[in-house]
Amino acid sequence: MSGIIKVENLSFGYTPQNTILKNLSFEVVPGAFVGIAGPNGAGKTTLLNLLCGLLSSDAGSIRIAAADIDSYSVKELARKAAVVASEFVPVFDFTVEETVMMGRTPYLGTFGFESEADRQIAVEALNATDTGHFASRPLGSLSSGERQRVFIARALAQNADILLLDEPTSFLDLKHQVGIYDLLKATQVEKGKTIVTVTHDINLAAQYCDKILLLGADGTYEYGCAGDIFSPEQIKKVFGVRVFVGKVGREKFFIPLGKFSKDSRQISEKANNDGPAGTLP
Amino acid sequence: MAELLTSKKLAIKVVLCLAVLAVVMGFCALKGTEKISLTKVFAGPGENTDYDIFVGVRLPRIILAALVGAALACSGVALQAILRNPLADPYILGISSGAGLGVIIAILSGISWSFWGGSPMAVFAFAGSLATVWLVWYVGRFAGKSQVTSLLLAGVVVNAFFSAVIMFLTSVANSQQLRATIYWLMGNITEKDWSVLLISAACILAGITGLFTICHRLNVLSFGEEQAKKLGVNTERTRVLAFGFAAFITAIAVSLSGLIGFVGLIIPHAVRLVFGPDHRQLLPLSAITGSTFLVIADTLARTVFGQEQLPVGVITAIAGGPFFLVLLARYSRKVSWLK
Repeated sequence: MSGIIKVENLSFGYTPQNTILKNLSFEVVPGAFVGIAGPNGAGKTTLLNLLCGLLSSDAGSIRIAAADIDSYSVKELARKAAVVASEFVPVFDFTVEETVMMGRTPYLGTFGFESEADRQIAVEALNATDTGHFASRPLGSLSSGERQRVFIARALAQNADILLLDEPTSFLDLKHQVGIYDLLKATQVEKGKTIVTVTHDINLAAQYCDKILLLGADGTYEYGCAGDIFSPEQIKKVFGVRVFVGKVGREKFFIPLGKFSKDSRQISEKANNDGPAGTLP
Repeated sequence: MAELLTSKKLAIKVVLCLAVLAVVMGFCALKGTEKISLTKVFAGPGENTDYDIFVGVRLPRIILAALVGAALACSGVALQAILRNPLADPYILGISSGAGLGVIIAILSGISWSFWGGSPMAVFAFAGSLATVWLVWYVGRFAGKSQVTSLLLAGVVVNAFFSAVIMFLTSVANSQQLRATIYWLMGNITEKDWSVLLISAACILAGITGLFTICHRLNVLSFGEEQAKKLGVNTERTRVLAFGFAAFITAIAVSLSGLIGFVGLIIPHAVRLVFGPDHRQLLPLSAITGSTFLVIADTLARTVFGQEQLPVGVITAIAGGPFFLVLLARYSRKVSWLK
């Protein structure tokens, strides 16, 4: 199966002297769930903005659904890839349903009125994200978790095969973090969407993602299965942090330990004595 | 999803509001210092003073007020959307000072030729507004990365500069010229020829129709540039169109009636408070509400003090301010029965 997203030798820098993405190549197969991880400034959000056409690359190519990204118009690209980023809430009080309905924008005609079919798609998106019960509330009155779900609903209403997300769980509590990832997994499995999400939470990424793209701050990168990419050595190398590694079942989990963490010394001693399940590099 | 806008719902609301506007216009045309009766008007032309006053004097003036009201309100809607700023009004990007400068130059230089039935003041006002808008747009585009901020800044600076020039010129004008200028600056609706009305009506309606075709994009654009792009909106094109149409209809309104304040600021807010922020509905309803409001304001301006007429800009501010405050208090907690 060929990739729905195919990135080849991609390079990008905001200034000519300072390239943050160097010769990046990877491929995402249709229906995959890919996590992009890495330290601040490694270019995760930049990569996402390149993938949705907000930025254009300095060198290399991005192919979306077998066509070069530059060959799409803004409208055509919005039918291929929907984006959820840290979204700005406008001064005018649009309601939840009005906002979700705007996901249909790339399909509207001259005067921009939605058809019954558009309406149906928006209702489905509201139901899928469990936002239907506050559909008539203004956007400004929602909590961050609710609002994030509304923006995901809008992206679903866009009916694109690819869903790009930029840290969808930042500022959310544990329940809502898991809720968002469950929702994404459900869309992947039930609707066959390809999901690419930028995340800081390597534990959630390990639990939900099929593949991980780990970007280093120096322009290096690793791409592969979560189990292979997330190793204590890699994390130490990329993030510069010691981690405690454990294993629940299939996937590992990581607890970062700083110099003054309560368990920092304890774990070091334990590791020296018997090197058990939990190990430190 | 019962509350969402459909073209049918919108059509019903537009027709209802148009009916209200028609009634208001008819009623206001009968009011005035000279008493006229509707039955006599319907007797038709020829040796009929009532008919002559109604068709030759009152009606053109009322239609003019309606046109100007619609243009200013729609321009306010468009500019508030693209600048994402609820304080924006048709004059925020310097149109007022550019037109003012044009007018004062026309008055001081004593030019007397006319163009397409427009007085020299109207022609200079139109040219002045469009020149200013072009200047602001040109400077704003290259000033910085955040277009909205640089546009606003360019508008404020151009406004301040031209206002200074206007003040200098008024200080050297004689009292006759001064009075004409000040009346124009306060906003003043006077009787116009039918030919002028027809041309202006065609231009303003064309501009409003143009704005209507980008209304759903304005909805998305109020979520910011990036989100709009991700939703497939060509933001650059949308902004040029919105800005161009808004500037065009404002320039026509200003050349017809001077600087009538307040309509372009409060009408969009008032309509938004009652009907919600969806621009596809906000634009047509603001146009009709703006018309109704200005027709009433102008009728007050020409009747309150008998023979002595007030500039309509005075009425819009005095009557509009308190009315808007009441509306704000009433609707700031959303009521849903009108949506």
